[in-house]
Amino acid sequence: MNHIEGKTRRAFLQESGFWLGSALVVSYGGQLIEKAALAADAATFAPSLFIAIAPDGKVTLVCHRSEMGQGIRTSMAMLLADELEVDLRSITLVQADGDERYGDQNTDGSHSVSMNWTRLREAGAAAREMLVAAAAKKWAVAPESCHAQAGHVYRNASKKSLTYGELVAAAAELKVPAHPKIKADAQLRLIGTGQPSVDLEPMLAGKSVFGIDVVVDEMVYASLERAPTVGGKIKSLDSAAALASPGVLKVVRLKGIRKYTNNAVAVVAGNTWSALQGRRALKVEWENEAVSGSTELRAALEKSLESPGKNFRKDGDFEAQLQGAARVVEARYHAPFLVHATMEPLACVARVLGDDCEIWAPTQDPQGTLKDVAKLLGFKENKIKLHVTMLGGGFGRKSQPDFVLEAVALAKELGRAVKITWTREDEIRHGFYHPESTQRMTATLDKQGKVTGWRHRSAFTTIARLFDAGATEPAGFEMGMGCTNFPYHVPHVLCEGSSAPTDVRVAWLRSVCNIFHAFSVNSFLDELAHETGRDAVQLRLDMLEPYGIPEWDKKSTPPLDTGRLANVLKLAASQSGWGRKLASGTGLGIACHYSFKSYVAVALEVKMKGSKLQVTRADCVIDSGRIVNADSVKAQMEGSMIFGLSAALYGEITLKGGMVEQSNFHDYSLMRMPEAPKIRVQLVKSDAPPTGVGEPGVPSVAPALCAAIFQATGKRIRDLPVARHLS
Amino acid sequence: MIELTINGVARKIDATPDMPLLWALRDVLGYTGTKFGCGMSLCGACTVHLNGTPIRACVTPVSSVQGMKVTTIEGIAANHPVKEAWKKLNVPQCGYCQSGQIMSAVALLAQKHHPTESEIDQAMAGNLCRCGTYPRIKSAILEAAQKGSK
Repeated sequence: MNHIEGKTRRAFLQESGFWLGSALVVSYGGQLIEKAALAADAATFAPSLFIAIAPDGKVTLVCHRSEMGQGIRTSMAMLLADELEVDLRSITLVQADGDERYGDQNTDGSHSVSMNWTRLREAGAAAREMLVAAAAKKWAVAPESCHAQAGHVYRNASKKSLTYGELVAAAAELKVPAHPKIKADAQLRLIGTGQPSVDLEPMLAGKSVFGIDVVVDEMVYASLERAPTVGGKIKSLDSAAALASPGVLKVVRLKGIRKYTNNAVAVVAGNTWSALQGRRALKVEWENEAVSGSTELRAALEKSLESPGKNFRKDGDFEAQLQGAARVVEARYHAPFLVHATMEPLACVARVLGDDCEIWAPTQDPQGTLKDVAKLLGFKENKIKLHVTMLGGGFGRKSQPDFVLEAVALAKELGRAVKITWTREDEIRHGFYHPESTQRMTATLDKQGKVTGWRHRSAFTTIARLFDAGATEPAGFEMGMGCTNFPYHVPHVLCEGSSAPTDVRVAWLRSVCNIFHAFSVNSFLDELAHETGRDAVQLRLDMLEPYGIPEWDKKSTPPLDTGRLANVLKLAASQSGWGRKLASGTGLGIACHYSFKSYVAVALEVKMKGSKLQVTRADCVIDSGRIVNADSVKAQMEGSMIFGLSAALYGEITLKGGMVEQSNFHDYSLMRMPEAPKIRVQLVKSDAPPTGVGEPGVPSVAPALCAAIFQATGKRIRDLPVARHLS
Repeated sequence: MIELTINGVARKIDATPDMPLLWALRDVLGYTGTKFGCGMSLCGACTVHLNGTPIRACVTPVSSVQGMKVTTIEGIAANHPVKEAWKKLNVPQCGYCQSGQIMSAVALLAQKHHPTESEIDQAMAGNLCRCGTYPRIKSAILEAAQKGSK
């Protein structure tokens, strides 16, 4: 971060890296103040791009993270309210619109809190110091003799006080402090506590506006019949019956953009139902490219595990170990494609008039989306206005711009505003799926049963294809999610990756490659413990010793600390009553995983009644460093248990001839309330920097579940989903 | 023209008879608090009350509710014990399914003042939540039941 001495607010905003990377600010130069939405009113005090205090004392915070249930709007407001010394409930949040000046706005990778922990607190502290300085100047006293509290500045020695509103004009003339002093931990009022969502009231009233709820003037409604396969073309189209359907206005052919969208036929009508009915009346035949299905893909992935893939990590000499080992243990694991199934299906409203474009979308990535829309329309990005709505779930799906591109293309064609609403069938059949994967795990053991060598061959359909259509091997970032960052101390480690082409699109889904890597690593450790007659917790603890930062991760910020992983494992073991005697047909399984820089351990208890499985209890422990909103971390862990269980028990997308076979919640099942276990979450108190929360709860669930089932039944499930093995 | 009462107000809907109540509410009348999730009565996001009984608006033709009383999330008072309990336990995450969850919970408690956990499970089994708020929903229903009886 740059520190600017003795500059005015204007110069500060123009040049400083206080908020933004200086490169971003430089590129906007002198337009910064004039165009900052919050500084539009001259009387408003806007000490940074993100904060404004009006003369009536009203505080506005621009939230440049998308809200999809992770509670980030509340966490951001808490960071500001604490440092600025205002009531959390008094802050009005404005959702940022994708403007580059707000910096990276892509809400993924569980990093919203870590990226804003310091800068938002410093921004709040800077504003507070300026308000105190303004008051001190009015009273002609030293700033040290004043203090800020609850939206007022007080003069310590007397009962005098001024509201922030009364001070904004004077504060706006002051220099922005170069080194704002954030509060000492003991002074914090909000950070670390549990606070309810700032969006609760409108949510409970049914007034929150999700993308699907947006209504604009002169808007029409559309539903799209898409080619069932990527690259599929229209062979014949008869739209007469569709056009004759009540309320249908138009039928439009839309050309796909192979990377994102399929060729499609849009039915435009006066309301969603008429559009859906018109769509049903379409007579369209598709010409599909020669495409493969799940069987062929799985065979290709399995085959790739026979030979060494690309080497991603090599410690020592595994191959030599393999020759002389006292014992070799091997197992293969498989995990299928998954789809996001956000409760809000994809939806977008777009209007293209002349060379202006306006969009309302539940997007996780407004800036990436703007770039793609600009490319599609041939417009400059500043001619496109994007409003980010509330997201009815995201889980990575709404990072993709496909649903926005479709709406924009159709809006341009129609010359008026249009809302495209996806059906559930559309969402399940035209996803950006979590990759299918197959893992081959091999361990060498010495005579005492100690693990001396570890080879992890990972094969999956790589997400790198999003950036490089020709990518044929996994990317380092994918292998780094649970394979190459194998945290256990084993002298000889070999991590190899391979991929196989598929005909569906793959991308991010909550916790990404950690899902299958945590499954195979933890399941294999459980098998090794069983094979060598050791306790599954003790085996891991022994292998994590000596506790600390492993040599290979010394350069990371922050680096992995095996002691913190051991700690969450011990806590989860203790909380779950690990080692207790279990009734027949009952099992307790445990797993731990390091992802998004956070440490999570999960213990699951299952009861079998015949072939019927009930997950009775989940104990989850997370160490995610410093915590902003304790209640939202707890909620994310609760949600992660359910999300992880849905995936492990039922999640499976299969393909036949390149077409997805599932279509709605009857054949893509999610966990329901009667199946949900009692969940107990423990948050580790930590002084470490804040790390990820939204995703790291998910990966440990599947392996803990399968370990529990093994204990209850003696049946080892290496092939997800679990439901396929219980009947 | 289909005549019905929504949240105590008499309304007329100009729609084709087969249009599901869901789309009539959302697109024709502007009650967007009722959500679309599946269109097949599988997820409960569209739950509303018809003469006090919870129904899935996505599979209910608007012509079949002629003359009846419909209650949507907008018609449940902010201080209703269920909404108060939802607030106290900070139940929602993304919030999208919560309209349907609340409508199912309100209907359950109207019928059974003190449901057991297993009765709650049964009554709420048709409402999916992808964020996984089930444990809080269950606690909130128990909380509301307790408050409602005082």
